Amino acid sequence: MRAHHALRPLHAEWTKLRTLPSTWWLLAALVALTLAVGAAAIAPVAADVCPGGTCDEDTVKLSLTGVWMGQAACLILGVLTMGAEYGTGTIRTTLAATPTRWRVLASKATVLALLTAAGGALAVLASILLADALLPDYAPALRPTLGSVLCLTLVALLGLALATMLRDTSGAITLGLGILYVVPLLVTLIPSPTWQHRLERWAPMPAALSIQSTRHLADLPIAPWPGLGVLAAYAAGLLLLAGVLFRTRDA
Amino acid sequence: MTTSTNTEPETTPTPYRSHLHPTHAGFPRLLHAEWTKFRTVRAWLLVLVAAAVATVLITQLSASGSVTSGGPDAIHGPDGTTVTDSFRFTHRPLTGDGSVTARVTGLKTADDRSVEPWAKAGLIVKSSLRQGSSYAAVLATPGHGVRMQWNFTHDTAGSDSAVTTAPRWLRLTRTGDRLTGYESADGANWSKIEDVSLSGLPKTVQVGLVLATPGHQDVHRSFGGSSQSSGGGRATATYDHLTLRGTSTTTPWTSTDVGAPTPNAPAPHNARPDSTTTVTDGTYTLTGQGDIAPDQGGPDIVQMSFQGVFVGILFMIALGALFVTGEYKRGLIRTTFTATPARLKVLAAKTTVIGAVTFVAGLAAVAVGYTLAQSTLRGNGFGPPAFPDYPLLENPALRAVLGSAALLSLVAVLALAVGVVLRNSAGAIATVVMLVILPQILSFAFPLPAARWLLRVTPAAAFAVQQGVKKYDFTSHNCLPEGGCYPLSPGNGLTVLAAYTAAALLLAAWTVRRRDA
Repeated sequence: MRAHHALRPLHAEWTKLRTLPSTWWLLAALVALTLAVGAAAIAPVAADVCPGGTCDEDTVKLSLTGVWMGQAACLILGVLTMGAEYGTGTIRTTLAATPTRWRVLASKATVLALLTAAGGALAVLASILLADALLPDYAPALRPTLGSVLCLTLVALLGLALATMLRDTSGAITLGLGILYVVPLLVTLIPSPTWQHRLERWAPMPAALSIQSTRHLADLPIAPWPGLGVLAAYAAGLLLLAGVLFRTRDA
Repeated sequence: MTTSTNTEPETTPTPYRSHLHPTHAGFPRLLHAEWTKFRTVRAWLLVLVAAAVATVLITQLSASGSVTSGGPDAIHGPDGTTVTDSFRFTHRPLTGDGSVTARVTGLKTADDRSVEPWAKAGLIVKSSLRQGSSYAAVLATPGHGVRMQWNFTHDTAGSDSAVTTAPRWLRLTRTGDRLTGYESADGANWSKIEDVSLSGLPKTVQVGLVLATPGHQDVHRSFGGSSQSSGGGRATATYDHLTLRGTSTTTPWTSTDVGAPTPNAPAPHNARPDSTTTVTDGTYTLTGQGDIAPDQGGPDIVQMSFQGVFVGILFMIALGALFVTGEYKRGLIRTTFTATPARLKVLAAKTTVIGAVTFVAGLAAVAVGYTLAQSTLRGNGFGPPAFPDYPLLENPALRAVLGSAALLSLVAVLALAVGVVLRNSAGAIATVVMLVILPQILSFAFPLPAARWLLRVTPAAAFAVQQGVKKYDFTSHNCLPEGGCYPLSPGNGLTVLAAYTAAALLLAAWTVRRRDA
């Protein structure tokens, strides 16, 4: 092992992540679920909703619906990256080997981000290729594609932050799934326009996926890039908070 | 007298043996053991309390932000349902028994849109020209065949002949309170559609030709709010062979728009500007708009009082999963199975405890949440008569409250069963959240047919139990998932979730028996 000193924690984290069977299961689930839901979303459009392909549906956004499902896999991957260490107690070994705690967290975040970006890119590209094959006038665009991959990566980092803060896998997963799914559900179903407006602007989840829209952009509650920015702010803010807590607390 | 002494000294100390045979340990004892496990973990009690508090709090926040200024006066049908009742009516009074017959020869749109599937042309017997008064009608529609409908909430399908392609003979007879609808292809061979009784029908009623068409609805859906624009919707229908048998005043046929500002005033004040009736050589041509149907578009203030359940359910999922995965994680499961080798009994005891605990906590939370939300909504303008009172202990509120508690409990048991199968909390929690909550989110994003299908076949169908307004499938109302509309009826929706839970429990029972702990 002749890796540079600074790269050693990175290499260690990569080894840990790569040797967990759950990592590969989750990445497989990310690709499979994203693709399956994307296919289910576009199939009716291809078949009978608009036969000529000249309907009002935002086909690019529709083909990327699977990201809604795939992000759960990313969240769990992010949570397990830290949560598994607390669950099994390896965190103490990790911190004994690398006492600089911010470096541990940064290495975990880097490895996790690279891995989910790769998995997410695979899932998103597969969905786009499938839609391209099924729909006649499908025109993939760069912003939704890139944005979806970024969104999946940020969700994984959010999971890492939550697990570091809570030091508990099930708590972090429950909270994370609440942010990803329950908040957007309330945004739509809540009968109160006041709270709807507040949640649309301040909650990370429906906001981030506005990055996928290619039609009726003026009708969106938040513009595409600022929307993704909301999620990025949550992920970065929570990661920072997690870093502070990680430094100040016992393992 | 002899002092008692140990006449048989013990050779070896016998180890303690329970009097109970391990496999025959009583089920109440097992229940007690599982209940002790539950109540002594402080985190679980906290989660349970947090679930209840979050449910009440979110429900209350949601209700406090919902304000209405009342809107136009609602029209109520004979049974109190909010209804739409406006149509073009060419009528004569009929006193006592009699019948009206006509042939509907065509129904087409009068503007540049396609004809609505629920446009209606036919015959009606109505107790008065007042909106919401009782009626019975035989109607030919372009998309749903021939129907007999009465008092807004009742509908019987006749033949599925489409009025846009084939003329149809219709007949409506009155005998006392009984009204019978008939249809025929040729005017000679008649088949009965339905025979109904309208109580309180006056001696003299208005009978004649009816034309109504709901407005065309354009739905633009997007996540975080879909907009619906309803436009136009004028139709023209033609009739001939109009005959009325029975005692009627000798006045000719007159035309009125039911729902026009002053229906009893002389023409033209009793009509909308673009409604017409022309008669040439026995052919009646009616042009108009409106609909005769239950009004399904308004806010459902029962359903609006359960928003917190979406948050409470998350805690219940975590609780159900952790109740068993916690034992697998810490190895306690081996102790549990050593104490009670009958594993199915352990599973049954765990199911009973978590089901009962989540049901009781859920019931308390939704009942309190519902009561608070209802009083908040009253204060925000959702008051009678447009929004009648729904007392907690009467249907539909009682059904919605009990159903929501059952929903929370069933989901917790589902999480428990999935936890037994997967033996880890991360997988169990994520799986159940994706089964129960994700389908609803996807239903907002999917095209409508796929979205409705999703809400029929996944456990998310169970949220239909919170609906207070009964959904009728014979209206043109668009059932949009983002509007809180679930395609299944409350009972069927909850049954779907119960079926998932039962299937998961069976799978759990099978795996827990054949696997090592």
